[in-house]
Amino acid sequence: MSVSGAELGGLGCSVKRKEDARFIRGQGRYVDDVQLPNMVYLQLVRSPFAHARITGIDTADALEIPGVLAVITGEDLAAANLSWMPTLSHDQQMVLATEKVLFQGQEVAAVVGENRFAAADGAAAVRVDYDELPVLVDPYAALASDAPVLREDREEKTNHIFHWESGDREATDRVFEAADVTVSQDMLYQRCHPAPIECCACVADWNTTEEHMTVWMTSQAPHAHRTVFALVAGLPEHKIRIISPDVGGGFGNKVPVYPGYVCSAVASLTLGRPVKWTEDRTGNLSSTGFARDYHMKAELAATKEGKIQALRVKTLADHGAFNAAAQPSKWPAGLYNICTGSYDLENAFVEVDGVYTNKAPGGIAYRCSFRVTEAAYLIERAVDVLADEIDADLRHAARLDV
Amino acid sequence: MATTTSVSVTINGKEYAADIEARMLLVHLLRDELGLTGTHIGCDTTHCGACTVLLNGIPIKSCTMFAVQANGQSVTTVEGLARNGELHPLQEGFSEEHGLQCGYCTPGMMLTAAALLESHPDPGEAEIRRAISGNLCRCTGYQNIVKAIQHAARSMAAGPASGNGEAEGGEG
Repeated sequence: MSVSGAELGGLGCSVKRKEDARFIRGQGRYVDDVQLPNMVYLQLVRSPFAHARITGIDTADALEIPGVLAVITGEDLAAANLSWMPTLSHDQQMVLATEKVLFQGQEVAAVVGENRFAAADGAAAVRVDYDELPVLVDPYAALASDAPVLREDREEKTNHIFHWESGDREATDRVFEAADVTVSQDMLYQRCHPAPIECCACVADWNTTEEHMTVWMTSQAPHAHRTVFALVAGLPEHKIRIISPDVGGGFGNKVPVYPGYVCSAVASLTLGRPVKWTEDRTGNLSSTGFARDYHMKAELAATKEGKIQALRVKTLADHGAFNAAAQPSKWPAGLYNICTGSYDLENAFVEVDGVYTNKAPGGIAYRCSFRVTEAAYLIERAVDVLADEIDADLRHAARLDV
Repeated sequence: MATTTSVSVTINGKEYAADIEARMLLVHLLRDELGLTGTHIGCDTTHCGACTVLLNGIPIKSCTMFAVQANGQSVTTVEGLARNGELHPLQEGFSEEHGLQCGYCTPGMMLTAAALLESHPDPGEAEIRRAISGNLCRCTGYQNIVKAIQHAARSMAAGPASGNGEAEGGEG
C-alpha cells in the first residue's frame, strides 16, 4: 500500500506559506510601517573620521531649527550613565562617542525632530570638532609594539582582544617536523556585510503613566535585546516589551544591539513621546555588524603519496572597534574548530587571536555560519594547495583522507 | 521651515492632493502621507529597487524622485495590483513559485515584472533577469522569482479577463 505525501501531512508536498498572503498585497508590517500618534523622528550624526579625538560638539545651531526637540550627545548620556552598552561578547560599545571616535560612521549625536525633515536639518547643523589620530585598519599593524592603543577604556593597554586555541600544539608541531611534504598558505577571508534590504529601524514608546517601554525593532533576537535594554536603562525586564514584526531580511545583521535603538529609547524616556529611528543604507553598511574579516594561515603536513597527517592554523580575527560578535556558541571563534573538515587527520592545532582596529564592530554569524564558512574555505583551499604541491589529483588526495 | 507645495497625483486610479515640502520624496508621500506602506525603502540611492513603483506604467525608483515630480501623473503601487479582490497573475505567481521569503523586495519586484509583461508578454529567462537587474533580493530568491514571473506570463497568456493584464495602468 502506498501512502501519498499529502496523507502523511505534507511530507514531499509543496506547502503554501502563511505569510505570503500579506506580503504579495503590500500588507506586511515592517518596523518603518509603524506610525504612532504623537510620534517624533530621530536622526544620528556620524563621524566622518575613523579615529579622532572629539574636541567639541556645538548643538546650539541645531536646537534653533524649528521642529528640533532635542539633541543628545555622549556627554548627556554619560551624565545618566548610559554612554556605554554591553555587547553580546563580553565587551562594551559606545552608544554615542565620548572623547574620541573609533570608526568612520560611528554614532556621535542624536537629533530628535517633529518630523524627518526637522531631524535631518538638525543633524546637519550639529557641529563636531575633531583632531584626527593615526588610523589602524590592518590587524597585523594593530599588534605592533608601537601601535596606538585604540580602546582607552580598557584596563589592558593593547589592541589584542582574546586568544583561543583548540587541538594539540606540540603533537602537531612534531608531525610537521617529520613530514615528507608541508605546504603553507596565507588567506584573507575579507570583511563583508550581510546587507538585508531592510535597514535597521525601531520605534521606542515610553508610556509615562504605566512606566513601561515598548520597542518595535528590526530584531532577530528580541529576548536578548530586552535584556540589554534592561541593563542599559536600569529597568526591570517586565517593564520592557520588544516587538519584532515582519523583518526585511537579517542574516545575522539584526542580532546585535545598535546605538540607534538605545538613543531612541533614551529620547522617548526624555520626551515622553514615541520615537522612530530609521537607518539609511550608508549608516547600515558603515556601522552595523559585518561578517568574516579572518586573516588565516593554514599549513598541512602530508606523506609524499598525499596522505594528510596534520593541520596547523593561525588566524588573526579583525573585530573592529568593539568586540560585538554575535553568535550563540560559547567560543570567541564560534565553530571555527571544524576547520579539520572531513579529513582523517592524526593531529591538528588551531589558534585565533582577536584584534581591535578602526573599523565597524562585529563580527556576526552571517547566515548562521558561526565561522564555519571561514573554516570550510580554509581547509578546502589548503588541500588544493597541497594537491598542487605533490602533483596529485585533487580528488584522489581527498578520497585518500576523508 | 521650508515652504510647502501642492501636488495632485493619481495613485492606483484614485486622485490624491496634498501640501508637502518640495524636498519630500515620492516614497515618503506614498508611505508617510498616504499610508501606502507596501512600497519599501531599502537603500535611498536607487540601487535596490525595493521602492519601485510605476509612473505612467514605467518602473521608477520612488526613493530618488521628488513627490512634486509626480504632480499630475499616474502612479501604481503594489496596493493597486489586485483588482476587485482578484489577485494579479504576478501575485499568484510569486505565491505559487515561492518567489519571496522576507517579502521586502517583493512589491518592487512585482511592479518591475508587471511593466515587463506589459511590453513583453512572453519573455525569455534572460529578458526576465535583465528586467529585474535593478531589483535586489537578499534572501536569494532569483531562481524562484524568475519562475514566478514565467508563471504569471503563462497564466496571462492562457487566461482571459480575470487576471486583468494591464496591471500598471491605473487609469492611465
